[in-house]
Amino acid sequence: MTAVVGVGVWVPEGRVGIEEVGGELGLSGMQVKIFRRYHRLGEIARDPHGGLAELLRGALDGLDALRGQEHRVRYVLHARTFPTVVPYPHDPVREVCDAYGLGHAAVFAVGHHACASGLLALDAAGRLLAAEGDHDGLALVLTGEKTFTAEARLVPGTSFFGEGAAACLVAATGERDRLLAYASDLRGDIDSGDEEAALAFQRVYADTLAATITAAVARAGLAMDDVGVVLPHNVNRVAWHQVCRTLGYPRERVVLDNVAATGHLFCADSFVNYRTAQARGLLRQGEPYVMAAAGAGSGAAFSAMAFVH
Amino acid sequence: MTEQDTTAEAADPALRDRLVDSIRDLLPQVLGREVAGVTADTALMDALGISSTTGLELVLELEERLELEISVEELGRDDFGTVGSLAAYVAGNLLTEA
Repeated sequence: MTAVVGVGVWVPEGRVGIEEVGGELGLSGMQVKIFRRYHRLGEIARDPHGGLAELLRGALDGLDALRGQEHRVRYVLHARTFPTVVPYPHDPVREVCDAYGLGHAAVFAVGHHACASGLLALDAAGRLLAAEGDHDGLALVLTGEKTFTAEARLVPGTSFFGEGAAACLVAATGERDRLLAYASDLRGDIDSGDEEAALAFQRVYADTLAATITAAVARAGLAMDDVGVVLPHNVNRVAWHQVCRTLGYPRERVVLDNVAATGHLFCADSFVNYRTAQARGLLRQGEPYVMAAAGAGSGAAFSAMAFVH
Repeated sequence: MTEQDTTAEAADPALRDRLVDSIRDLLPQVLGREVAGVTADTALMDALGISSTTGLELVLELEERLELEISVEELGRDDFGTVGSLAAYVAGNLLTEA
């Protein structure tokens, strides 16, 4: 079963207050106040001087498990919220792979699960390696995007996107951290960018994400009581409070530390929160935990993975 | 039953009635149109078309108008059921004396 060999993350030091970002996007003072008071967002991480390549380099520099193992990497998957992450014809993912000794690997993007594409990429990476039966092979999942358009700065009524990246080294099998189960609920009916679809997404969000988490945990042969910690996506605090109420799961065990400090880092949230949980001593050997994410764009996706550390 | 519900039910009924009046006064400003015949039983979403965002705007406008601080931490979809349920939530979640 798929195993996460190591996780490297990078969040740039630059921060912009949501009032400034709201001003850039033409939001009213009241709209921004709702984000700060109700959604509990505060500052957004941004690197004003670097591009996507610099974000990914930062994450790769923090991935110690990759050192000396580059030749074993068969696949590099860039998991994306948005299909287009840089202007044509730039290809920073390929450039970074060449610079880090990964030029031999098959490099491609994984998307269409919006901000849950990071979990999709983890699953795909493990299954690709397993299908080859090559137990020496590794795959690298990269996440992180630039807030380079207005659309890539705001999730209307929900969150602000921030800049940060993660690099996750994956093996087909292994003891730590072992993927126990993956569940994903795709809602193709919520498939437009209009206000009605956004409201439909909000209406089903807590129940559907809670059900997806429950499904992943049940497939792993576990109950929610067994789950030591949930590593969420950083959309906002209140959305997770609703999910916790639905699950009957203590909100204190959801790692929400980065919501007010960085904003929603596209597909990188769960991995950045993994490192935060690790630093806080929340990941204990042998204890299960959950990564969960959801997003809407051309269709909505709700995904969860159960792991054992 | 959540802690929030218990608090709301324990709130002063006279305060809740005053809040219903204030919400009724603020609705035209938040909705951008006149609304008639609003009572505590009027459904905010179904009858008046309030969205979650305009509902939050209503709460924060109420805070400014009454110079009160309201805890919005536990505010959920159910609290936006009717004018009365929102008033009950606010009455039970004041951080400053009304």
